[in-house]
Formats: sequence, C-alpha cells, structure tokens
Amino acid sequence: MSLLELKNVYKIYGELHALDNVSLKVEKGEWVSIMGPSGSGKSTMMNIIGCMDKPTKGEVLLDGVDISRESARNLTTIRRDKIGLIFQQFHLVNYLTALENVMLAQYYHSMPDEKEALEALDRVGLADRAGHLPSQLSGGEQQRVCVARALINYPEIILADEPTGNLDEANEEIVVDLFHKLHNEGTTLIVVTHDPEVAEVAQRTLVLRSGRLAKEIVNENFTGKIHFDESEGFRKEEVKAANGIQQPEAPQKSGKKKGGKK
Amino acid sequence: MFWRMIRGTLVRQWKKMLMIAFTIALGASLASAMLSVMLDVGDKVNQELKTYGANITVVPKSASVLSDLYEVEGGQTGAYLQEDELGKIKTIFWAFNIVDYAPFLDVNVTADDGTQIRCVGSWFNHHMELPTGEQLDAGITSLRSWWEIKSGAWLDEQTAGDSAQLCMVGSALAEKYGLTAGSTIHLTGEMSDQTLTVAGVFDAGGEEDDQIFAPLNTVQAFAGLDGKIDSIEVSALTTPDNELAERAAKDPGSLTVSQYETWYCTCYVSSICYQIQEVITDSVASAVRQVADSEGAILDKTKLLMALITILSLIGAALGICNLVTASVMERSSEIGLMKAIGAQNGIISGLVLTEIFITAIFGGLLGFAAGFGFAQIIGHTVFGSAITMKPMVIPIVAILVVLVTLAGSIPAIRMLLHLRPAEVLHGGH
Amino acid sequence: MKKRQMYLRMITASLIRRRSRMLVALLSIAIGATVLSGLVTIYYDVPRQMGAQFRNYGANMIFTPSEEGFTLEDIQNAAAVIDSGDLVGIAPYRYENVRINAIPVVAAGTDLAGAQKTSPYWKVEGAWPAAGGEIMVGAAVAENFRISEGDSIEVSFTPEMEDGHDVVEDTYLDFKVTGILDTGGSEEEYVYMSLADLESLTGSAGRADVAELSVSGGGEVLAQYEERINQMGSPVQARLVKRVTASETTVLSKLQALVLLVTVVVLALTMICVATTMTAVVAERRKEIGLRKSIGASDRSIIGEFLGENLMLGGIGGILGSVLGFVFAQQVSIHVFSSSIRFMPMLVPVTILVSVAVTGLSSLLPIRGATQVDPALVLKGE
Repeated sequence: MSLLELKNVYKIYGELHALDNVSLKVEKGEWVSIMGPSGSGKSTMMNIIGCMDKPTKGEVLLDGVDISRESARNLTTIRRDKIGLIFQQFHLVNYLTALENVMLAQYYHSMPDEKEALEALDRVGLADRAGHLPSQLSGGEQQRVCVARALINYPEIILADEPTGNLDEANEEIVVDLFHKLHNEGTTLIVVTHDPEVAEVAQRTLVLRSGRLAKEIVNENFTGKIHFDESEGFRKEEVKAANGIQQPEAPQKSGKKKGGKK
Repeated sequence: MFWRMIRGTLVRQWKKMLMIAFTIALGASLASAMLSVMLDVGDKVNQELKTYGANITVVPKSASVLSDLYEVEGGQTGAYLQEDELGKIKTIFWAFNIVDYAPFLDVNVTADDGTQIRCVGSWFNHHMELPTGEQLDAGITSLRSWWEIKSGAWLDEQTAGDSAQLCMVGSALAEKYGLTAGSTIHLTGEMSDQTLTVAGVFDAGGEEDDQIFAPLNTVQAFAGLDGKIDSIEVSALTTPDNELAERAAKDPGSLTVSQYETWYCTCYVSSICYQIQEVITDSVASAVRQVADSEGAILDKTKLLMALITILSLIGAALGICNLVTASVMERSSEIGLMKAIGAQNGIISGLVLTEIFITAIFGGLLGFAAGFGFAQIIGHTVFGSAITMKPMVIPIVAILVVLVTLAGSIPAIRMLLHLRPAEVLHGGH
Repeated sequence: MKKRQMYLRMITASLIRRRSRMLVALLSIAIGATVLSGLVTIYYDVPRQMGAQFRNYGANMIFTPSEEGFTLEDIQNAAAVIDSGDLVGIAPYRYENVRINAIPVVAAGTDLAGAQKTSPYWKVEGAWPAAGGEIMVGAAVAENFRISEGDSIEVSFTPEMEDGHDVVEDTYLDFKVTGILDTGGSEEEYVYMSLADLESLTGSAGRADVAELSVSGGGEVLAQYEERINQMGSPVQARLVKRVTASETTVLSKLQALVLLVTVVVLALTMICVATTMTAVVAERRKEIGLRKSIGASDRSIIGEFLGENLMLGGIGGILGSVLGFVFAQQVSIHVFSSSIRFMPMLVPVTILVSVAVTGLSSLLPIRGATQVDPALVLKGE
C-alpha cells in the first residue's frame, strides 16, 4: 500500500479548477518533487496533502485513511501525527528560541523533551544556536530550525513548500543536503518548488500545469547515497541531459528570491 | 492618489477603523459626560443643599433682639417688615438665584384652656407670578422639607381658598390636645378669635413642635397686624465666601469701585444680603452661618471630588485611546514596510496614516460627544432628577483632547515603524 | 520536561520577549484596574468622608432633661453609649439670666472646646475664650451694649431668693471679651463663658440645661443611638435634630448615587477600552496562531495558551491597578478631605478577578476567531 495516494482529486474555486482530476501515489521512503509555474495548483496540492485543506472531489488516502472527509479537528490531529511542514517564509514563533520552537512541535504532539529537541537541532547543525531567537538567526539557520521542528516527531511525510525560496545559494545547499540526509534515514519527502535545481535531486519530479499532472520525470541516476557536494557538477548536468526537464519560463526563474539575510 | 489610498484603507479596513472610531467615541463620550457633570455638579448639589432650609434671614432694622432678650409680651416690638414688599426680593440683581423664601409672623394666641400658644403665620406653597414671567411656588412646604408629617398632609394654600381657616400643628402640641388631621381648635388672639381646622400634624424635632403654623393672613387677623411680617427666610444659591466677600460683608464701603462691582455681581451670600436690604425697607438681612458656611464647605469638597474623578477618567480614556491607536498602527507594519520598499517617503507615509486616523477620530469624536451628552443626562436625571446643562466649553476641551490623544497615540508608533527596515518587515513575516 | 512546564515557559517567553506589545496591553489593563479600584474605594469612602463634612452643620443630636433636670454626670453617662469614634463633639449648655450694666442678658456656660466642635460654623471675630475670666459675646448683644473685642465687662448674677433671707447679695465677676459671635441666628443674643465661670458666678455646680452633640453616622445609626439612650432610664432624653439629620441623609444619598453612577459609567467605558485593546493585541497575532495550527496545535490548546497569557496579563494588571487605584484614592482623599482613606483589603482580590475576567473575555472572542482561520491562508500571504 502506498503511503499517500490521491485518487481523481478536484479542487474547484468557482470557475477555477485549481486541481483538475489529479491522481498520484507516493511510496514510503520516497523523495518526490512537485514543480510547476505559479497558479499551476502546487500550493493547493500542498495544502491538501498537508491536511490544511480538503478537496472538492476525490479521495486522499494517507496511510490508508481517507483524509478528504475528515473534520477540521481530526485533520489537525492527523497533521500533527503524520506530517512535518516546512515553509518558504520559515514561520518561527518569533519570541521563542530555536530550541523552544522545536519543542513547541513536541508539545503539541506529545511531550516536550529538551534533550531530544537539542538532538534534532544538532542534526541540522544548530546545536550551538539553540538559545537564539529567530531574529538572531540567519535565513538559512531559521529554515534549518524549521527542518528540525518538522522532523522532531518522526512524521510519515515531510512536506516542504518552497523550502529554499528565501535562501541564498549556500544555505540552499545546506538545506538540500539535509534532505539527502533525511532521505537516507528513510523519511518520505515531498518538496514543492519552483527551482529545478532543487527539484531534480529528488527521485521523482511531478510537473503540474493548470491543475493537471502534466509530466512525471523519474531521476534514474538517483543514488541517494552520494554526497551532494562531491558530485554536484557532474550530476546536475547529467540529470538535465537525461531527463530533459522542461525549464520554467524565464521570468519565474528570476522571480526566485535571493534576499535571505545573513 | 493620496486620497484614493486613504479611501482605500477606510473602505477596505473598515473593521479596524471602526474599532478605532469606537474606542475614540468611548473616550470622547466619557470625557464629555464627565466634564459636563463636573461643571454642573456645583449647581446641582447647591440645589440639593436647599433641603437645609433658608440661608438668609431678613429682620426689621430695630431688631427683634429686644423681643427675645426681654421676652416682651406677644413678641411684638413694634418693628415690622411690610408684606407688600415681599415681591421685591425677586427683583434684585441675583433674583434668579433666589430659589425660595417665606415671610413669618409670630403671635401669641390663647387656647380655650388658657394656655398661650405660639402661632406662626407664613406661606405654605404661595404661588407667585413674577413680572419676568417666571412662576414660583414659595413657602415652608419646601423651606421646612425636613418636617415629618405625622397625620394629614401639607397645608395647600392654592386649593384651600381664603375661607378655609386651616392650620398645621406641631406634634407635641397635637399630642397635648389630641389633635389629628381634620380636628378643629379654637384660638383667641389679641384682636380676634378663630376656629382653625388642622390640615396636618408635623414633627420638626425642635421647638416648632409646640407651635401652630397657619397662613399669613389668618395670623395677621389674630393680632390685627394686616400687611405686617416679622421676618423673612430666604433660600438662595450662593457661591462660597472668600476674603473679598468677608470684607464686603463687614463694610461694603471699604471696597474699591472695581472690587465692589465684582462683589456685587457675584452671588456671595453677603452680596445677596446687601441687595435684599436695598429693596426691603428698614431691614437687616444676614446669613444663617449654619447653613451658608456649611453649604460652602460641602460644595467645595464635592466640586473638588468630581474634578479629581474626572481627571482620573480622562487620563484613563486618554491612555486607552493612545494604546489602541498604537496597537493598530503597529499592526500595519508590513503595509508600511511595503510602502517604503516601493519608495514612499517617511513624510508621505506618516501623513497617510495620520490622515486616516484623524478622519476616523473625527467620526468617533462626534459620535462620542453625542453619546457623552446622553450619559450626562442619564446621570442628571437619575441622581438629581433634572437635566445637566451642557456648557459650551465642553466641546473645545473634548475636541482638543481627542486630537492630542490621537496624536500621542499614533506618532510614537509611526516613528517606530519608520525605523524598521523594509526587508525585515517583508521577509520576517512577523 | 512536563507539558505544564513548557506551557509556562511559552507564556513567560511571550510576556518577556514581546515586551513592547505586552506593555501596551498591560498598561491598558492596569488603567482599567486602577479606575476600578480607585473609584470603588472612593465610592465606599464618600459617605464617611462627606459625612464628616456634613458635621459642619453642627449638632445633630440634643440631650434634654426630663422633669427634674440633669447633671453633667448624667450627660457623660448617656454620651458613653455613643461609640467614641462616632462622637465628633459634645457640649453641655447651662443658661442663666445675668446682667451686664444692670441689663438682663442670657449667659450660656459650656465646654468651650466641645462647643467649637458642635458648632463649627460659628464665626467668631477675635478668639474663642480660652482661660477663665474670658467671655464671648453674641453680635446682637455686642451691638446693643456697644461692646467690642478686648473690652472688660462686669457680669452680675442675682441668686434666687431663699427662705429666711431678706436680701440676697448679687455676685460679680469681671470678664475680658475675647470675641464677638456671628451666627445669623439666635445665638447672637447670648453671651458665652466657660461652665466653670458660670458655676462660680452662680455658686451652684454640676447642672446643665441641655447638651448638643455632633455624631457622625447615617440616619439609622443615629436613630439607634437615640433609642438606646432613651431606654437607659436616666434623666437624659435624646432627640435628633431633624433639620440636620434628615437633610444630611437626603444630600448624602444623592452624592453617593452620583459617585456610583459616575463610577459605573467610567468603569463600563474603561472596560470596553480594555476589551478593544485586547482585541487589537490578539488580532495582531493571527499569523502566529496559523503557524501553531499548522504544526499540529488543536484549537483548544491555542485558546489555552493565548488565554493563559492574557489571564496572566490580567492578573499582573489587576495587582498593579489595585495598588495604583489605592494611591489615587488616597491622593483624592488627602486633597479633598485632608484625611487618609480606609484601605479595603476585599477590593484587591475583586479588582484582580475583574481585570482577569475582562481580559479573558475580551481576548477569548478574537482568539476563537483567529483559530477559525485557515492556517494555509494566513501562512501564505501577507
């Protein structure tokens, strides 16, 4: 059984079909990217998978449970137990320290455990910044805190919405590197992104166009074991060549924000 | 464009603006209600203090001192005031402040068992139509408000008619003769004898309990003193005495012309006394210290108390509005960051935010003023049973207050926001 | 770490690290609480404080003797019934016919210190008699006899004829006039001296004709005292001066009603002010609420956290307000009545409770509203 399965999902806002008969499956331990231009339905899909929205029509099976018919209250519980969210704009509680932000997720999930939270921060390389407030952290560090927060409760799926959208190249690499690590540990990753460089490192890339699944690209060269840094130049070129990923139009690419602060 | 943006904010953020307007309205209503009550409380309490009775007595010049000291038979010393001059009291400079007065004539009459009884003639609820068109019911019904009516009711001059021969009897005397409302008593005076019907029995808690009170003409008939009265009690609204008033009371001649004018044109008890003496022939008007002085003390305290409560509530209202304006300006950090990012000057942003808030404040202020007027009237009617006079000076005070408070609330917040770097505001998200 | 500890840690973090915003809210709550405790303290103290002002009207109770007359001792026994804290002043009076320049005048002997308290409105030009041999003359007498302050006068008394004596010698005493009394009433027709002087002039002691008392307390309290004294079986008959007591009750109740209404209006408006501020403060945090929801917080726990935080603010504001309110009431009392105010311990918990309740209620609605918001929407855009 797939971990996540969407069956003929529609999301309709008045005339607009944000999602138009989308079906897909994600297996446990898979790393999937969802790409597409603005307005292609990425966010809608992300919201539905993240239990923050319900489809108009169709079934969404998460771990065998159809979440499309659950109440808002149950959705919160499912989200808490199964999904770790990472946002483009980081979204940390600005008056809690990095450590406390991670513990917040534990708190809502079960029991806050300072040691475990520190370990999670250590995994994202921020053990020494645990006592800092978000305003004292750089954009990359903030996003890494979000990653730590997302994985603290061992979720079934980590759902990342443009996780590198507000980061510079260096921080982008660190975050992608973290995804590799998580993948190696067996975490299921779904990354919604504009950025082909981020998308193509996944095992599979789904391309959305006007609410429909336009293309599915399997990264046959995906090894998962290779350290990103070592093979970066080589693999990037190869993947592009091998799969011929359609580049999004130029303006959208330049729309990617590089304004993260140091 | 400027106005277009403002219109945009007001229309689209109407909920927030409504809340600000609402708070300003609350503050303004509080301020205007409290200020109106404070400014009027003196007059209102002064009216209430009239329950203590007259604060001025008028006696003939060749005083009745002798009548008391030597206990001259019948209390008659030959010095009287003229009844027909009574109306003149309502013609003095401070006539408007004379709320009540009544003439008195004391005579000794003899009951059938031979005991001497003091019989006092006065007005009960004498109706007067003044040349000014004002109507006044004056007399002891209101001047002796502390009397407890044991049986019957207050003697009503207006419905009784002249031939009714009514009287009111003190409780001690009523007990002695077994009188209740409706019973009659036969009294013999120096010149005539009459049979009076008891309209009511009162308990005054003093020497008046041994006396009989009857309409003035009835008592005049006993002693053959038509048109004569012994004394007048006057209840006037007065300003507490100050040093000038005390000096004037001793000798008005010692004042300079301008001091005299000030004194004469202020409703000090001494200047009212002086003015009464001017219109009543051969009279001496003096303040009843017990009432006049105590009134002054209580009035001063009440005014001060209300002033301090008003100040507290004004401070409270001001800080409340300040707070909310600050909170709601700060809420707009991202909007202001965006405006800065697209190149708006600080001046333009401040102007925009201030204009929006002021438009809101004007609406709120107007609404609040109307509501405050209502509150003041509710207080006036509930406590004093009469409307609170709105003083025009309340309007500018409240207006200035609203402007100052709104400015004080928004300027620090705007300054703070202007110091933010647009990138932080837009990126941090918080 | 326990869940509760984390809860407290979050709340304190929010209170401490969001200092400026929290101060805005705290200030508003503290103002509300100050107004509440200050005005309520004043409201409860007004009858007492104003009552003291009304004592300016002078005696409100009079002791008169039954048939045989009474002695000073009787008066003291009767006055002992009245709580010493309520008794503002007592002055026994004894009236005798004396002569000045052979003309009869009524002389009143009294406890002069007591008389000053029972008749605070008496206006004396000059000074009250302090030592023996000093006398105060009513204005009417002074005018009649052309007496002025500082004069020396000789007062004579003719004792009553006793059986067996044909001629009774008049007694004479010299007095210095210290002041002229102006009251606008019949008091101006008497002369006043100390009881001791009158006793030595007349040669008989311990007797009094009447006693004036100034007692603080409402109409009911006075009526109780009156009843208890009259039931003692002593020759003392207590009577209330209706003119003073009835009027005091009327005016005082109006004043208290005024302060009550003003308090209610001011309180209602201030509390609404607190509520709108709290609404604004919570509305500002919609995004945070959305974030918390997205990482799995249930509506209940969000409401619990925010409410906890605001209730804590309410508590701190309440404590601050009760202190400031008392300080304010004290200032008012000192400035208006020149006496300090009674501290009401009950008011502290009430103030804290009310401010906690108002803060809680006024933040509950916006918090609930915020939890209805779709987290995806809040987190996406601005």
